[in-house]
Amino acid sequence: MANSVIYAMYDDDQTLITAAKDLVGRGIKVKDCYSPFPIHGIDPIIGVTRTRLGIVSFMFGLGGLSLALLGTWYFMIHDWPMNIGGKPNFGYHLNIPSFVPILFEFTVFCAAHGMALTYLIRNKTLPGMPAVNPDPRTTDDKFVLEIDSHDNHSMSTEAILEAVKGTGDFELSHKKY
Amino acid sequence: MTYNRCIGTRYCANNCPYKVRRFNWFNYKAYDKFSEFNPSQDMVGRLVLNPDVTVRSRGVMEKCSMCVQRIQAGKLDAKIEGVPVADGAIVTACSEACPTNAITFGDINDTNSKVHKLRNDKRAYLALEEVGTRPSVNYMVKVRNREENLA
Amino acid sequence: MFKEAALREPLILGNKTYGDITHDVVSPIEDKAPKGWYIAITISALIALWGVGCILYLIGTGIGTWGLNKTVGWAWDITNFVWWVGIGHAGTLISAVLLLFRQRWRMAINRSAEAMTIFAVIMAAMFPGIHMERLWLGYFVFPLPNQFGSLWVNFNSPLLWDVFAISTYFSVSLVFWYIGLIPDFATIRDRIKTPVAKKVYGILSFGWSGKAKNWTRFEEVSLVLAGIATPLVFSVHSIVSMDFATSIIPGWHTTIFPPYFVSGAVFSGFAMVQTLLLVMRKTMKLEAYVTRKHVEYMNIVIIVTGSIVGVAYITELFMSWYSGVEYESYTFINRFSGPYAWAYWAMMTCNVISPQLFWFKKLRTSLGFTFFMSIIVNIGMWFERFVIIVTSLHRDYLPSSWSMFHPTFVDIGVFIGTIGIFFTLFLLFARFFPVLALNELKSILKVSGEQYKNKD
Repeated sequence: MANSVIYAMYDDDQTLITAAKDLVGRGIKVKDCYSPFPIHGIDPIIGVTRTRLGIVSFMFGLGGLSLALLGTWYFMIHDWPMNIGGKPNFGYHLNIPSFVPILFEFTVFCAAHGMALTYLIRNKTLPGMPAVNPDPRTTDDKFVLEIDSHDNHSMSTEAILEAVKGTGDFELSHKKY
Repeated sequence: MTYNRCIGTRYCANNCPYKVRRFNWFNYKAYDKFSEFNPSQDMVGRLVLNPDVTVRSRGVMEKCSMCVQRIQAGKLDAKIEGVPVADGAIVTACSEACPTNAITFGDINDTNSKVHKLRNDKRAYLALEEVGTRPSVNYMVKVRNREENLA
Repeated sequence: MFKEAALREPLILGNKTYGDITHDVVSPIEDKAPKGWYIAITISALIALWGVGCILYLIGTGIGTWGLNKTVGWAWDITNFVWWVGIGHAGTLISAVLLLFRQRWRMAINRSAEAMTIFAVIMAAMFPGIHMERLWLGYFVFPLPNQFGSLWVNFNSPLLWDVFAISTYFSVSLVFWYIGLIPDFATIRDRIKTPVAKKVYGILSFGWSGKAKNWTRFEEVSLVLAGIATPLVFSVHSIVSMDFATSIIPGWHTTIFPPYFVSGAVFSGFAMVQTLLLVMRKTMKLEAYVTRKHVEYMNIVIIVTGSIVGVAYITELFMSWYSGVEYESYTFINRFSGPYAWAYWAMMTCNVISPQLFWFKKLRTSLGFTFFMSIIVNIGMWFERFVIIVTSLHRDYLPSSWSMFHPTFVDIGVFIGTIGIFFTLFLLFARFFPVLALNELKSILKVSGEQYKNKD
């Protein structure tokens, strides 16, 4: 049997959430959901896992801090300590207050950019990448649930279509692939 | 003052409480607006410049270097002879030129030098002493209560 | 779905649907620009061109073309730098701090406020560049390995902290703004008909598709970036204030500068946001989104920060007497009664007295009065930086070095030019980019939209 993808379009986010709950309750696996803004509450229903980007930014921040600490120690204390108005240049701990701005800024820089790049790469949103939303109206004011029959072997495509029809959808379409 | 490294932010001059730092606002040696009073603009006039002193380019900050070229030359002479620098061997141009010996120059750290004794004299004071800048130039208070004046 | 208190005024007026929001924001981009836009951008571009000409003359001939002298080494250059950086801080505060405080009224204003930040920081970053006479050696400030025995930079210098702070602030603001723009570019991409525009917005949108996981990540990134950008707002302007606070010049050497500068920055920034938004909402017909309530909320921030600035002025005056340091007392006596007293009193009137007028509800909800006030505040804040820099420099410790500063046409031309460049950039932004955060507005429609609040 050929596989097909079903797109159920809704014109309201509340309807979509009720529909998703209904379908998942019947054992249909929803592959994805396309919307023009984040729908709160959809993640646990369709099984979207928590993102670890917060941890990513923390790691990058720690890396940035270490790099800045190492850098300021190397440049100011180890490699070429200079007599700048008699300020102590032989111990790193003596200079930490004046290095704080640099350490902080570099930490923030690395945390922010590291996380942002990771985010773009993980989302596969980079300059030149093609858009994969099934209908251009999903970025405007319509919401789409994507169901793949490949994930739902227990039910036939017709059965899935029947189930979806009762959930208040605005438009229904399916494509074979 | 390292002229080559200066990028001309003028932050040092702003912070100077004595305002002794001077900035090179224009390219004085090549800007024709200054040809009336800058001799180094033509080949013959350039001979007036001291070959031991760096000509500062546009955009660098400068101040009195205590005739660093004479200090270096004096240190080099002493090193060649293998003796420590004698007090009075190095004189700045200003102290040499002064007709009344108002300016004394020397090694402040050399306890036997004239300038060290003058610096620790009870007439000696530092300008803006209370700010804590510890400048290397000190001044002497004028002696006013001389005996002939009191009489 | 939670309910907002009925007591709160709706943030989206009229019976708007999700489609209406898209239409209202995207149609100015799809349609032809109104004639007023062309006139405005021509004027701004001409002013910008004059400014660029003055800058080229400055770099070609020397800093001597400014009115600076050996006593007053910084005047309009650094005044303008701090003024522009200060203006920039409001955008980041709106985007970051108000997000963390869950203030839904930020949704309508954050996109254009962040754009204002980006353009203001670009203007600001120009000044450290052009004020250094040997601009072509500007790379000396970076710790790059070199042939001088690898001569490094001085990490103790506040000017170097500025380099790190401003570049971090600019790049993080840009990233935060752009990440928010990506889904909105996708909306435009999917709607616009002209093929060239479709291609351009397609590239700009990075292929955004609006999948649930993408949105989850989007929200997490927005939250973390907001959390990172908040201390950035406070630290960057504190670091800029340390350019003065770490010196020994009377009037500069004071620990009140970091909080004083930060609140002053937010103060002037919100005033600039008001100036821009009041014009934008009228010309682009976005009154339903940038409502009178939004204007009022921003005015409340202006009173708060303006009051902090006022308290700081009075503290400075008090400390100059209480400290017993004659240099400090003289600096302030000179400020309010010396040759630049006109600048000091302009600053006091504009910054202390005028924002207090917003305590009256009638005035803080009046759009015309707000617009007028926002310009007054920005003028006052410019004078504040001018007074701090020039009056402290022109008469400091030794009377023998006292002098006056007078601006030349190049000083004035460069400043006016940056205003021209700023407005040109902002007009381009208003024409080609979505000026409201579409996805964020849609997400608050059901909670704060007028028709939803009236239902019960």
